[in-house]
This record gives sequence, structure tokens and C-alpha cells, in this order.
Amino acid sequence: MKPTPLRAWLTGLALVPILLWTLFPIYWIATASFKTERALYAKPPQWLFSPILDNYQHVLTNIPFLQYLTNSLVVAIGTTIGSLILGILAGYGFARFRFPGSDAVRFLVLVTRMAPRIVLVVPYFLMMQKLGLLDTYTGLVIAYVSFALPFTIWLLVGFFMDVPIEIEEAAMIDGCNRFVTLVRVVLPIVAPGLVVAAIFAFLVSWNEFLFALILSGVNAKTLPVVIAGLTTDLAPLYGEMSAAAVMVMLPNIVMTIALQRFLVRGLTLGAVKG
Amino acid sequence: MGTRGGRGFLLPGLLFLFAIDLVPLVYSAWLSLYDWWLLRPRSIPFVGLGNYARLATDPELQRAVVVTGLFTAGSVTVEFLAGLGLALLFSQPFRFLRPLRVVLLLPLFVVPVVGATMWRMIFHPDAGPLNYYLSLAGLGRPAWLSDPTLALVSITLVDAWRTIPFMFLVMYAGIEVLPAELFEAASVDGASRWQAFRHITVPLLTYIMLVAVLIRGMDAFRELDIIYVLTGGGPGTATQVIQMLSYRVFGLGHMGLANALGMITLALVALLCYFLMRAILRPQTRGSAA
Repeated sequence: MKPTPLRAWLTGLALVPILLWTLFPIYWIATASFKTERALYAKPPQWLFSPILDNYQHVLTNIPFLQYLTNSLVVAIGTTIGSLILGILAGYGFARFRFPGSDAVRFLVLVTRMAPRIVLVVPYFLMMQKLGLLDTYTGLVIAYVSFALPFTIWLLVGFFMDVPIEIEEAAMIDGCNRFVTLVRVVLPIVAPGLVVAAIFAFLVSWNEFLFALILSGVNAKTLPVVIAGLTTDLAPLYGEMSAAAVMVMLPNIVMTIALQRFLVRGLTLGAVKG
Repeated sequence: MGTRGGRGFLLPGLLFLFAIDLVPLVYSAWLSLYDWWLLRPRSIPFVGLGNYARLATDPELQRAVVVTGLFTAGSVTVEFLAGLGLALLFSQPFRFLRPLRVVLLLPLFVVPVVGATMWRMIFHPDAGPLNYYLSLAGLGRPAWLSDPTLALVSITLVDAWRTIPFMFLVMYAGIEVLPAELFEAASVDGASRWQAFRHITVPLLTYIMLVAVLIRGMDAFRELDIIYVLTGGGPGTATQVIQMLSYRVFGLGHMGLANALGMITLALVALLCYFLMRAILRPQTRGSAA
């Protein structure tokens, strides 16, 4: 299974159509954000055009964009941390401890994700109202953690089960208790799984629209609600919408670049031999 | 290993999840037993299973179940195969693949409503760039969103565009944590790449693949944003999935019926997941016992 130059070329070649397909709509959004409405509909489609900044200017002046950006960031980071902590603990619990009915309970975890969101909006609203959490970061974080958690738990169970139990036993013989073993020994091994869980939880919160609309008012409103306001049914403001979408994408890209160095193999190798 | 210590790990997450999610679910199930209209707040008669009886014979729902099934099966199959293929490609040790990983993930970062709105423009029969280039190539101007069959294909394509990165990411991470020694040993023993894939990667990755398919399947079954923006369920009822139907019922303010539809969705998804899990996990446990 030696990586030969020929295989490198074939791999590259196979990726070309996929990358084109993935990137064309992104390219379309990115360029639309710098185009006038007329240039957008020009035929043939303009690949070269004189860029304008009006769309960005409109978005940044007409909407308190930075405040909503802060809201989105706070809620997304809160959701990520919350669902990682609860998901790591529960995922590890399911992977390492069997008890009567544990499979049924694990299935029930999944069931909480099966109902259509639109049906749950009203009960959530009433619940948050009772708890006094409407239009607060905490209310949104609670809702989004509950959306992300079933996946986080199920995914991490898979990664934890693949960790050889001998490694943990060795650590516990060396005097670590279970929790320390989990944090110091197991988590570094499953780092790629944690990255996926983190990106997923972040995006659940970052992109969610319906609950953000219903559960938040002036204070905690997040970006998708604002952007949806630009995609009115009659005449979508394509340019401004695109400008907002580009600005909304940037934090995600930064986060993923920061996290992707943990997406590497090789940690188990030393662990087993050592 | 004892079950005692497990409690401390499991309880925080489970208590949170069940407290936050099961309460609304039970509440919604209870609402589904009433003939509750938002515009008629004074009289909310208890009708038992009346809403369900009404839905059981509703041809529109039957049609929606078929459409939802087609959409879910189609999109999950495409996304799973493409995601797995990409994960395998990217698990090769080539330098130039590293920066491309982030590029491949970009569609995940586009707010779903915006992505769908842009695709609607790309698909536009006259003004869209897709048909412009197709007609230059002499392939005509397909009515991507207004031909009944093509509309279903189009929403599947857009869903695939948005979700292949997710499938890729999950399975790629799953492959990355597989112990490298296994592959080295197999290669020393003269196993071909196919054999290594079939006998090492697939069995060890089964659970992760199952999770990816389950989560994606559940989300595809309940997809609304993309379909709402692209076709609104049309033309006619060609792309009217169950969620689109319950959105419309919800919009009419018939809360009892909307909640009954929600419960039916939940039951269908639960059944689907249950059988999928049994089908996939059975052979695996048999294999590991042998």
C-alpha cells in the first residue's frame, strides 16, 4: 500500500469533479456578495466583474450585525462546551458500563431527536417561559445542547468502544481513577471523534433558525434569524444575503482550521506499544 | 466491570436530555388527542385518537410518506457512498489532501436557508447559470424545480451538496482512529487493498457508519428548510414530504392535527431506526463472537 505518484495523480483527478460540485455554489455566493443585482443576472454569467462593497455596507449599517454575531458566537460556544461535557461523560458511560436496559436507554436517547422540530416549538416555548429563560443565551444553549447531545453521545460511544481496554487498565493500575483515566488517557486517543462532535454541535447552534426565531427576542437573536429576514419570499436580496452569508461562514472556517490539526491518526500507536 | 461507577458518567447527560426533551414530547403527544385550533381557543374538545383516525385515511399523508421515503432513501444512499469514498481517498498519506479537507467542508458552513436560496437561483430555468451552460452544451433547459420527477432529484442533490461533507467528516475521523498497526500487519501478510478494506476497515467502522446513517436518515426524514425554499412541496405534491405537510397544517392553526402528524413522524422514524440497527448490528456481533 505504498503511496506512489501515480496514485497521488489519480486521487487528485477523482477529487476534481467533487470539488467543482462542492465549490460552485460557494463561489456563486461569494461573488454574488460583491455584485450588483444586475450583474448577478447577467448573461453570460460574469466571471470577471468590478466588485462593489455596497452589499456589505448595507448589511453592516442596516442591521446590528456585530451584536448578532456576538450572540451567535456565545450561544454556539456554549452549546459546543455543554454538549461535549455531557456527551463525553454519557458516551463513556454507555461504552464502558453495561446495565439491564442500557440498549433501550441508548435508543431512547435517539428518540428525543426523532420528533419534528416544528411540533416541539410550542412546548419548548412554554417551558422556557416558565423557567424565565426566553430571549436569553442560557435558554438557547439548553435547547441546542438537547438537539446536539443524542448525536454526540452515539458518536462518542463508537469512538470509546474502539479504545483498547488494556490501556485504561494500565492507567488505573498506575493509580489513576476512572475520571482521570478518561481525561488524561482516553480523550487524547479519541481526539478526531471529539473534533467531529465539536464541529457538529457548533453548527447545530450556528445554523439553527426555527427555535432561534421563537425563543429569542431583541437580546439573544442569532444570525440565521437576521439572514432569513433578507430572504423574503417575493424578492430575495441576493446580494445582501450573500454578503451576510459570507461573513457568517468566516468564524466557522477559522474554527475548523483551528480544530483540524487534531484530526490525525497515530495517537493509538504509541499508546498500545508503551 | 461494575455498573455502579457508570451512574456518575451517565446521569448528568441523561437527566438533562430527558428533562428537556421528553417533557415537550409527552406534552405534544397529549396535545395530539385534542381537536385544538389556534383560532378557536375557547372550545378544545378531547377527541382521543380522532386526529390519528383522520390521518390514517388521508391520501395526502400516504403520498407524503412515499415522497419522504424516496427522498430519505435517495439522499442517504448518495451521501453515504460519496462520504465513504471521500473518507477513503482522504485517509491516504498525501500532503496535498490536508488543506483540501477544510475546502470540502465549506457547504456545512452555509446557513441552510441561504444555500437553498442560492441553489434556487442556480436552478432557475431561464436566468440560472446551470441551464445557461447546459444549453450551450446542447443539453436543453431542464425544468429542475418544476418537473415533478426532476424536482425530487433536485432537492436530493441540494441535500447531498450540504450533507456529504458531514458524512465524510464522521467516517474520516472514524478511519483516522483505527490502529495503524492492523493495516501494517495486513500489508506485511500480503493482503490487497480491497481485502484490508473489506476485513479491517468495514468491520471496525460499522458502528460509526451506522451512527452516520442513522443521524442523517433521521434528519433527512424531517428535512424542511431546503424543500421549503426550493419547491415549497411542489409542483403539485411532488415534493411534499411529511414535514411540509405538517408545516402547512401548523400554518392553518390546527394544532391537534399537527401534533398527531408529529407523533406519526416520530413513530415512523423510530421503526426505521430500530430495523436498521438490528439489520446492521446483528452480523457484526456474530462476526466478533466468532
